[in-house]
Amino acid sequence: MLDGITGNLERYIDLLSARQKLVASNIANADTPGYKTQDIDFQFEFMSLAKGQQPQVIQSQGLPEKPDGSNVNLDREARLLSENQMRFNLASVLVKSQLKTVHEAITGGSGS
Amino acid sequence: MSLFSSLQVSSSGMSAQRTRAELLVQNLANSETTRTPEGGPYRRQDVVFSTDQQASPFSAMFQNEVGTGVSVSDVVTDTRDPERRYMPGHPDADADGYVAFPRINPAEDMVDLLSSTRSYEANVAAISSVKDMISRSIDIMR
Repeated sequence: MLDGITGNLERYIDLLSARQKLVASNIANADTPGYKTQDIDFQFEFMSLAKGQQPQVIQSQGLPEKPDGSNVNLDREARLLSENQMRFNLASVLVKSQLKTVHEAITGGSGS
Repeated sequence: MSLFSSLQVSSSGMSAQRTRAELLVQNLANSETTRTPEGGPYRRQDVVFSTDQQASPFSAMFQNEVGTGVSVSDVVTDTRDPERRYMPGHPDADADGYVAFPRINPAEDMVDLLSSTRSYEANVAAISSVKDMISRSIDIMR
């Protein structure tokens, strides 16, 4: 029953943490020669990813290449880092409030 | 656990940048060193980074985990010829009175050091962001 309530949000949170890890590795590899920025196609994965599966990693297109062959843009990664974090916070608040609704249904609104 | 392995990725970035900073500081400190165990003047050293799959034995079960850490794959030594300065009174001077000094440009090292510090900070920012996400997930259970 709870799966129906939090299922989509859970998938969203899973995808956000996978993406956050990619952002972390992009930042860690900012000075690695020849490293290509990695990302996931968020919309596509959210619509099609089955439970328990890993999202497909793609290389970001259209980023200018530096002389050492890497195309990591720290500004882009910093933006994604905080964007992911805020999305994650939002999703966790939503999950929490939905679970609270269920809790209230169980206690008949009398519990805290 | 995707989020906890993000911490591992960022910390690999931090330690790689720290190694780089240590070598750069060593270069600056030895910019006038004319004697080394290998003989001859000190030579500038720099690191080469490469991507590194974070595969701890436990996470080997989840082989298709995304994201890679970074590691120092190589330390390269500058092969440029030493700088020759005319100092006939110096004990290391050759027959013509020239002393071989390390070819180190302090500006080059300082700029690299700044870049290394900034990259280190970026990794720290990533860690605190992931930490916040983890504590938010723990909050759901409260």
